[in-house]
Amino acid sequence: MNMHTLPVSDTFVRVAEVWVPKDGRLVHAEGDYAHSPAFAAASVAESFAKGEGLPGKVWESGKPIVLKEFDGSYFKRRDAAEEAGLTSAVAIPVFAEDTLKAVLVLFCSADADHMGAIEIWEYMEERLTLADGYYGGATRFEAASKNISFSHGQGLPGGVWSANTPILKRDIGRAGSFLRSEQAAEVGLKTGLGLPIPTPGDNVFVLTLLSALNTPIAHRFEIWDARPECVGATRQAQLIDGLCKREGALWAQQNPPVDPTMVSAWMGPIGKVLGTGLPYVQREGAGLPAGYTSMFALPIYHEADLAYVVACYL
Amino acid sequence: MQKLVIIGAGMASGRMLEHIHETDPAAFSVTIFNAEPRGNYNRIMLSPVLAGDRSFEEIITHDDDWYAQNKVTTRFGERVTGIDRERKVVIGEQGEVPYDKLILATGSTPFIIPVPGHDLPGVVGYRDLEDTNAMIDAAANQGASAVVIGGGLLGLEAAAGLRMRGMEVTVLHIAGHLMDRQLDEAAGYLLKLDLEKRGIKVMTEANTKAIVGEGKAEKVLLDDGTELAADIVVMAAGIRPAGQLGQQAGLEMGRAIKVNAQMQTSDPDIYAVGECVEFDENIFGLVAPLYDQAKVLANTLLGQEDAFTVRELSTKLKVTGCDLFSAGDFAEGEGREDIVFRDPKRRVYKRLIVEDDKLIGAVMYGDTADSNWFFGLIKDGTNIEEMRETLIFGPSFQGGGAAASDPLAAVAALPLDAEICGCNGVCKGDIISAIEGGVTTLDGVRMTTKASASCGTCTGLVEQVLAVSLGDGFEISKEKPVCKCTDLTHEDVRRLIKSQELKSQPAVWQELAWKTPNGCHVCRPAINYYLISDWPLEYQDDLQSRFVNERNHANIQKDGTYSVMPRMWGGMTTPDELIAVANAAKKFNAAVKVTGGQRIDLLGIKKEDLPAIWSDLNEAGMVSGHAYTKGLRTVKTCVGTDWCRFGTQDSTGLGIKLEKKLWGSWTPHKVKLGVSGCPRNCAEATCKDIGIICVDSGYQISVAGAAGMDVKMTESLVDVATEAEVEEWVSAFMQLYRENAKYLDRAYKWVDKVGLDWVKEELSNPDTRKALVERFDISQSVYRKDPWADHIRNRSEQYQHLADLTEEAVA
Repeated sequence: MNMHTLPVSDTFVRVAEVWVPKDGRLVHAEGDYAHSPAFAAASVAESFAKGEGLPGKVWESGKPIVLKEFDGSYFKRRDAAEEAGLTSAVAIPVFAEDTLKAVLVLFCSADADHMGAIEIWEYMEERLTLADGYYGGATRFEAASKNISFSHGQGLPGGVWSANTPILKRDIGRAGSFLRSEQAAEVGLKTGLGLPIPTPGDNVFVLTLLSALNTPIAHRFEIWDARPECVGATRQAQLIDGLCKREGALWAQQNPPVDPTMVSAWMGPIGKVLGTGLPYVQREGAGLPAGYTSMFALPIYHEADLAYVVACYL
Repeated sequence: MQKLVIIGAGMASGRMLEHIHETDPAAFSVTIFNAEPRGNYNRIMLSPVLAGDRSFEEIITHDDDWYAQNKVTTRFGERVTGIDRERKVVIGEQGEVPYDKLILATGSTPFIIPVPGHDLPGVVGYRDLEDTNAMIDAAANQGASAVVIGGGLLGLEAAAGLRMRGMEVTVLHIAGHLMDRQLDEAAGYLLKLDLEKRGIKVMTEANTKAIVGEGKAEKVLLDDGTELAADIVVMAAGIRPAGQLGQQAGLEMGRAIKVNAQMQTSDPDIYAVGECVEFDENIFGLVAPLYDQAKVLANTLLGQEDAFTVRELSTKLKVTGCDLFSAGDFAEGEGREDIVFRDPKRRVYKRLIVEDDKLIGAVMYGDTADSNWFFGLIKDGTNIEEMRETLIFGPSFQGGGAAASDPLAAVAALPLDAEICGCNGVCKGDIISAIEGGVTTLDGVRMTTKASASCGTCTGLVEQVLAVSLGDGFEISKEKPVCKCTDLTHEDVRRLIKSQELKSQPAVWQELAWKTPNGCHVCRPAINYYLISDWPLEYQDDLQSRFVNERNHANIQKDGTYSVMPRMWGGMTTPDELIAVANAAKKFNAAVKVTGGQRIDLLGIKKEDLPAIWSDLNEAGMVSGHAYTKGLRTVKTCVGTDWCRFGTQDSTGLGIKLEKKLWGSWTPHKVKLGVSGCPRNCAEATCKDIGIICVDSGYQISVAGAAGMDVKMTESLVDVATEAEVEEWVSAFMQLYRENAKYLDRAYKWVDKVGLDWVKEELSNPDTRKALVERFDISQSVYRKDPWADHIRNRSEQYQHLADLTEEAVA
């Protein structure tokens, strides 16, 4: 593979930003708006009260939200977003038990050249059913998703639900490999990232990001296990799975893993998430894998403890 | 350049080739055969491929480019049909290849259980990419069912993968718990819970009888009559070394191809590596020793000294979210000590096995953070004497000073926000506040803070907080725990078994934080009884948790022989029964004693004769008198109105009815009944656990008498008019006693504790009485049976000598 930087514009996720609570409002913490300075300017000056705008709605509802279109919605930065070519967004709350730590917002651009899907699955009558989703032009896949539900352990959402663990699935377009493989194959979906999204109360949410070969959610995915029962009392994390367009498989080749990749708090971007317990967005600078210019990382909590970090590199 | 031929492109030979090419790429001209139409891939990662957690491309270790770059001639998809050692050639389907050195790396094959239907289409082993693809294809049919036979590492990974792909999956495992070679029962229990949480059905002690279907597998039939729908059946019952080529070539064989420490076979020019070899009576299935072998073989071929040694192995299951670790030897044994830590809330179980001050085994579930450290202690044989007290807490706790070894100091050192009661989220500070507010007892803390009020496993900790805070002002509860395995009392355990719906012994050990792996001789019989009593339909009686008399269904005597006592309903017998008893007594040379309970005891029976004498008595229609049980013993009666001038009711008939209703039931302690036909009380009913005195107006039921170490007259429970009411009240009393008494409390002791007024109040309510009788009847639907007949049918071998040395000597 060549070593030059991968083009940013071919990823499905185009912009990532982090909002954190401060003095009763959500304020801008970080963001990567590299290709849309106007949207960056509109964002850094913004803050949201509970129930206000997309981050505020997530705070109020306590659950992830997919915004399929900005026009006519409560979205506050509509003009700047549209000007930047962004068409949709998913906002993910980060809760440690009942405490909102932050909201991570990912903006996508879907057109004929950008394909992907973002889904939120919610517990209903012993199963997970589709609560919301953005599919761009993948209408058959959207229809299949609305007509399906998952029991515990079944499929990507059910697997994430039962294991309470982020899961990266490959080859989702292959028959038998994914419950909606036929429709996934039609639109070229290749990789699925499933994330448990803990929220206050007993409800269960699983977020799935389905990535196409040509316009993936990201070019590199990493799942880090930070649970004390895995890595001990010291704040650190172990790389348990990952895929990279440049380096290939990122997981330990032996079982049990021999010298697995570890990272400690404050060491590089993942270490920053371990240290702060907050989502993190970085554009350029030290710590990014060779060939990458941008990344975002999401912490996932088990009750009050940081359990996993999921990182995507654009 | 020497010609090196390799048969098998698996992980061992692949690793060996890497070593050779790293060290001396020009040393050999290499040809490699592989029956699979592809080169080397990371076979142990097929499970993640099945689950969709990896793609096949990701697990390829040597692709075509690698073989080309390293000038390896590949003969993939071609089977080797033989080896001619004379001519030193390998015979492939497409022709012969000469060798100077030959390596057999033929791996292993899945063991296919030879049940009827094992060769139907749809039955697959789990070994290679073809098997994996067959399973993925089966999963394409939405809503399809899979049955996985084998609950070991591979079977469970297959099950998890198939479930992720949307199939309805059942795992059948022949042993009592999953992964029984790697895990103990407690960890197996947690693993089962985790898999069930994923929607996988797990059946242990499941014997496959047949696989049936029209032209393909459709159902799996079990021994017990269970039928399971199956679109695909995965046989994951183990692997067998594939050593046939070596055998055909005349190499020395054991269970596999025998090699020395240089991986050399009995032919000096032929080597073997991987799962097809036997070294020092060991065969291999995990990858770590295969890699060691590969390195040794590469060095040997390159003329460097090296020797393979067997090393300690650890195990990790590749099912996302299941954290388990096992290493070393974890069997129980004399001189071995268990150190156990459980956290029911976090579903954590850790067990260390120590022998001669060394850690020899470790099993962990739910928290494996320190597994490498423990594994190191096992491998290195480190002396752990000085850290024994805190060993279970891992490396970060070593050298922890007083707080590490003194529980009270440790509690004192806890910060105020340290959680004490996980169930109710109560911190140490909450308890301290309650104590500062005037609370001085455990009950007070429970009422004020709810700590220890739910599962109760933090009771000891709460008491320690009280002790630390109040000093001499606090007295630890006088109610004793069941035994040293737990801080919980019998009453706590009974309550929690019901409230948490604990239906197996492993569930009790784990959820109630037992301090030992499987309980001890004190608690196991009690827990076994409580589970029988509360979950008669779900729980399977555990013979190993019974005292010897109950295990053997006879009373052991001081000379090691047994007494056998058939039941004589209400003390009545017949000439035929007496003839059968007499014949049995003569045949087995028994002493004969008429008992105070109106039965005949045959004494001096040898253990090995028990099934035969029971068989003879069964044939005469007689069943066990349960003279050895914590259950219904005898119902003593007088002759009643049939023969006695003073009899007011048919006391014999009523006694027989009661005995036939109550026999076989397990109770906290033995239960004796008496039914007297008039107040003269010839059946001595007023010193029994339950006594009935017949009077002209009906029946006086009294309870809680005793005539043993304690002598106590019964106390009146109720007077009723009809036999049916007697049956109802007696059954209800039995069930109330069964459900509430502490194990080994006779009825009179239990009544004394709870008060006769409470018993009367409960039983006076017709609805309560009816419900108790219903529950008793449900239990009796399982247990009202003759244990002798069952033992003759199913357990005769347990009464035989382990070996007949006489026969061996003759032979």
